Amino acid sequence: MSQEYGTVGEDLTLRERIERRPQPAVAWLGGLLVMVLLEFGALMGTVMTTVPWQSIGQTLPLTAPWAALAGIGDALADLPTLLSREVIPNQGYQLPGEGWQGTFLGLEPGVAWAFRVLLIYGYSFVLLAWTFYGYELFRRHYRAADWTPYDDMLSRLDGHRWGQFGFVIVFAFVVMAVFAPALGPTTVDRNIANPYENEIQYYDENAGEVMTTLVGNANLQSVSKGAGGRNVGPGEYDDFGRFHPFGTLPSGKDLFTFMVAGARVSLFIGLLYITLAAGLAIVLALLTAYYKGLADLAVVIAGDSVQALPQLLVLILLSFVLSDTWIADIYDGGLLLALIFAATGWPYLWRAVRGPALQVSTEEWIDAAKSFGQKPRVTMQKHMFPYVVGYLLIYASLSLGGAIIGVAGLSFLGLGVNPPTPEWGRAVSAGQPYVATASWHISLIPGIMVVLIVTAFNALGDGIRDAIDPQSQEGSTEATAGGTGA
Amino acid sequence: MTRWRYFLRRMVLSVPILIFGTTATFWIIRMGPIDPAAAIIGPDGDQQAYQRVRDQLGLDEPLWEQYIDFMIGMFTGDFGQSWVLNPDTPAIVMLTQYAPRTIWLGFWSVLIALFIGIPLGFYAGLNSNSWSDYLASFGGIVWRAMPNFWLAVILVSLLSQSQQLFGFSWQNWIVRTNVVTSPPLDNLTDPESFLIALKTTIPAALVLGSSSMGNEMRIGRTAILETKNANYVEAAKARGIPGRSLVWKHIFRNAMVPLVPIITGEAFLLIGGSVLVETVFAINGLGFLFFQATINGDLPLVGTLMFIFILLIVGLNIVQDLMYTLIDPRVGYDGDA
Repeated sequence: MSQEYGTVGEDLTLRERIERRPQPAVAWLGGLLVMVLLEFGALMGTVMTTVPWQSIGQTLPLTAPWAALAGIGDALADLPTLLSREVIPNQGYQLPGEGWQGTFLGLEPGVAWAFRVLLIYGYSFVLLAWTFYGYELFRRHYRAADWTPYDDMLSRLDGHRWGQFGFVIVFAFVVMAVFAPALGPTTVDRNIANPYENEIQYYDENAGEVMTTLVGNANLQSVSKGAGGRNVGPGEYDDFGRFHPFGTLPSGKDLFTFMVAGARVSLFIGLLYITLAAGLAIVLALLTAYYKGLADLAVVIAGDSVQALPQLLVLILLSFVLSDTWIADIYDGGLLLALIFAATGWPYLWRAVRGPALQVSTEEWIDAAKSFGQKPRVTMQKHMFPYVVGYLLIYASLSLGGAIIGVAGLSFLGLGVNPPTPEWGRAVSAGQPYVATASWHISLIPGIMVVLIVTAFNALGDGIRDAIDPQSQEGSTEATAGGTGA
Repeated sequence: MTRWRYFLRRMVLSVPILIFGTTATFWIIRMGPIDPAAAIIGPDGDQQAYQRVRDQLGLDEPLWEQYIDFMIGMFTGDFGQSWVLNPDTPAIVMLTQYAPRTIWLGFWSVLIALFIGIPLGFYAGLNSNSWSDYLASFGGIVWRAMPNFWLAVILVSLLSQSQQLFGFSWQNWIVRTNVVTSPPLDNLTDPESFLIALKTTIPAALVLGSSSMGNEMRIGRTAILETKNANYVEAAKARGIPGRSLVWKHIFRNAMVPLVPIITGEAFLLIGGSVLVETVFAINGLGFLFFQATINGDLPLVGTLMFIFILLIVGLNIVQDLMYTLIDPRVGYDGDA
């Protein structure tokens, strides 16, 4: 492809190649900069709140410049961002004859909220497309090689509608988790965690004026308990002019806010689990494939031992036993769950990549590298890892779905993530008595979301499998994909 | 390696696995902050009674002594007595009281999954890329992705309210039963009590078998697709073997091979899933017992249940590998352990 733009020097570094032809790269970076600037405040906010700067600062000897930097960081974090509830507010009250007060452009709260959601998803998908476009630019203008195996994998994904469906849903789920605070019609803090410390204004028809009440009191008037008209269904307003896209919980709290915050918790646990388990799995697979013999036998026995423990039962046991310890307080129990999942789940991933790792270890190039005197670590990293990592991705995608179900199942039993931190399984549990009533949404919507996301992760796994290994038989991955039985 | 030496090797390899699993169970329970003595005497117990219970249970002895006693007990079949749930009852007696309902539930969930999943998968495979194939395949994928506990909640509600929702009363259909109840298993030889026991189990069994059913369907479909185009099927076709015998003798038998690990693998899903499904359907079986024993810190009971489950899984794995070598002699004995 590079021929039409003249030959690209194979011996140049990427930097030199960009200097030779800077125009597409600069244009692309400019676009990226605009998009980052729109959300710069939120980005800084994440940096300032998630990293424990306080403890880092204490360990550093020079405090003064750091304090100044922290001040700047906090100031930057407070910069207005495009996709926030401050710019596009959806909470207000309706004065008769004057329309909505306090909402974005005086729109109805539901419309204002929908506008914000659309904008967030629009932004995210544009950013995604821009990233792909950047890769295309890199491929066309700056990559030294005309062709790499990844090109074939991508082109195989081109017509893979099932895998694309999975990717889009998974991406939408990730966006939901990332933008959780901006997506909900209200925030977890205001509506779910501390409803009695926050106030809302509403227009009281009987009094004929704008009144102020505690969110907790308003919630008590907006419960969804099935019979007797005490129900705020999906897409309905409650008596306080608050819009509930998914309706309310039996406690009167907003289900959509609960769901998006729960998505964040689920995704955090799932990703941490997969990172830990996959890291362990691939290191063990490479080591055992390289050294074979006793190392292999030891890991086989260790893996079999862990797999012989029923995973869900160990999860129940451990998350109950450790529920009162300090580790269960970190990230509301999310860290503990991820660790337990990783400790019990790695053999499934390891088994999945053991075959490919053993296969690649018998190739001639490994022998060549060995006789060449290459260090074992370099051989594994450079010559075995790239071959195995694709297989790991397939199973990682499948196991992530299983982990989301597992976490939901545990919180359904009242274990795992501590209340009031939202978790989807707890919504299913709360709605259990009302499934066949007017308040059907409480159990049904979280369940359907789980089904959709787990299906999407499976579809994504199928897509990756077909992309990296088109000859592999469909269905060969199912048997070993970790399911807990939740 | 002969079959028997292979079998022996598997047996030897399973010993460290059993020891590891039992050890892990002991340490998880004893290292945690659960205090069984406090659980037994309740919140109002005085200090003396508390100390008496601790002495009685031997909780103040060195931990490694307790550990050795526990391990010896487990491996010699002396499982001890329940501490909290049902004091002074041998754990094994409690196990035999609760096990039949879980075995009954597990039996039907395997059976339903097999008899719906595999035929549906084979049907989809034989009619591949038709609308009925797409429908069955997509249904299988979604069915498999449904969380058991959620499916159970939905099913319980729909069945309990079936009169109002569909104008058809599940409770009064054929025999009168409740939706959320344990199946009575006292008198299975009597047709009516058999029917009652079956009818109360079917919804729970359907939920418990759901993910296996989806798996069996997908793999059955793939297996058919692969054998359908195999050379020996072509050859059989060329020899003029009629369609029916072609399907039954040449396609189905070989398509069964990849289904073996799925069927034995169901045990894992059943053991884990039984906790949630039994909780929702209020079936007091082993899963329910395990959950109760866990949240009450009943060490002997939890240990016994875990030990039995591990034994079951290890045994099933060996049986599965032996079945492989019987069905398909090409499977090596010294390949993947």
